[in-house]
Amino acid sequence: MYDIKRSVSLYSYQDEYYDGKLDLEGCLRETAKTGATGVELLAEQMIKRFPLPIETQEFRDQWFAWLKEYNLTPSCYDAFLENRIYGNRTLSLGEQVNMMKRDIRLASMLGFHNLRTLVSTPMDVIEGSLDYAAEMDVKIGLEVHAPFSLNSGWADGYMEMIHRTGTKHFGFIPDMGIFCKNIPSVLREKAQQMGAKEECLRIVDDAYARRLAKGFVKIKYDLDLGKANMEYRMANGMKEMIEAVEKAGGGPADMMYAQTSFTYSWSEPQDIIDNIDYIFHTHAKFYHVSEDYVETAVAIPEVVEAFKKAGYQGYLSSEYEGGEHLRYWTEVDSIEQVRRHQEAMRIAIEG
Amino acid sequence: MAGRQVFNPEGFKNIEKDGRTVGYEFQFKAQYYRGVTLSIVRDIKVTVDGNQEPGESLRFTVNGETFTLDEMSTVVDSDYRWEFGEFATVSVLRDGGLAPGSHHIAAYQKIVPSYMPFPMEMTNETDFEI
Repeated sequence: MYDIKRSVSLYSYQDEYYDGKLDLEGCLRETAKTGATGVELLAEQMIKRFPLPIETQEFRDQWFAWLKEYNLTPSCYDAFLENRIYGNRTLSLGEQVNMMKRDIRLASMLGFHNLRTLVSTPMDVIEGSLDYAAEMDVKIGLEVHAPFSLNSGWADGYMEMIHRTGTKHFGFIPDMGIFCKNIPSVLREKAQQMGAKEECLRIVDDAYARRLAKGFVKIKYDLDLGKANMEYRMANGMKEMIEAVEKAGGGPADMMYAQTSFTYSWSEPQDIIDNIDYIFHTHAKFYHVSEDYVETAVAIPEVVEAFKKAGYQGYLSSEYEGGEHLRYWTEVDSIEQVRRHQEAMRIAIEG
Repeated sequence: MAGRQVFNPEGFKNIEKDGRTVGYEFQFKAQYYRGVTLSIVRDIKVTVDGNQEPGESLRFTVNGETFTLDEMSTVVDSDYRWEFGEFATVSVLRDGGLAPGSHHIAAYQKIVPSYMPFPMEMTNETDFEI
């Protein structure tokens, strides 16, 4: 039996935070208003002088007092392994493991049992942190963000490590941006505002539809993420699409739309079911939810259905990313968008 | 197009020292979604009225401490991050500062988060008055 809970990643409220309209407590208050019971935090986004305050009893008392006041449970701590913190070198393996352990410890001090790590985290850094993660009762989740996907050569590399080590403290955090049926409407609107041609936009939309119909070619495992990403784009027809846009007289706005279209992808929701033993948290990425609670790109009903079938026990954590396109030309209302998204997820979960 | 309020509209001013104008300053925010150590802010460029200022004349101030671009590359202290949503002050050392009146600025920032395959490079522009 599934137990699907709703959370909000405070990342969602970044535009209001940036403008000084919401502070950390304000974000928690807005989260609670949506009916979500979980909260996801990017400490480096909303805790100033990171990580010093987390080390103080005073801050932690305040944090837990807020969680109590707003009835929120910590769902996931988003870490950034800054392994190129110095320009002249990458941190050594030992230094990176120590940084990962620091983040696990910080997450634990704030009551989190899940930690999100990014795809750039080297495998041996994860492996070197597993014993400590077990000791601290924190699971390390590798974000599966487009262009990456589950059931891929890339994911197989990590699966091999899971089986070899027998760890229960590492798995995947799917980002629902890997379930986009089309390019988000907000990106299209931005391109139009920038002067894109309808003909060029259609070429890109059609190419996306063809990739979806054929099935996206999956990305390979490669430590050089830039190279892996470029190969992925080429394998999915980027060159031909760009040429078609150029031929149709596409300018910078059309090229922006064409290039950015590769940051969205479609995976079969069956991937969730196949990998459910290794999924303990989910980024419910979204771009725009209409007044009648329909996400304009992410297939929420189908994906939630897969989570139900799989018997998922965890949070779907709203992660609003439409603002990054809207903010160039109009007001962003993250609060309303998160409210609608939570309602869309509630309907799908309870329906 | 409208967009984020990157610059502090109150932040443009000449810098006076010992009765002389030794430069000018402005304040702007990082175009990224989290606070960062200054060590990953790998470049700042300032162009006013079409003239790019030499990098050696720039100073970057957060939380009351001031660094050159070269010094920023080793700043990892928690007290001196470029916090998300907070203004940093960029000072340009130039005798006489800017003439009173209207000017145009293009301020470039290069931030290199470790996980990104490519650096983030952003230029923001605005008109301002001295």
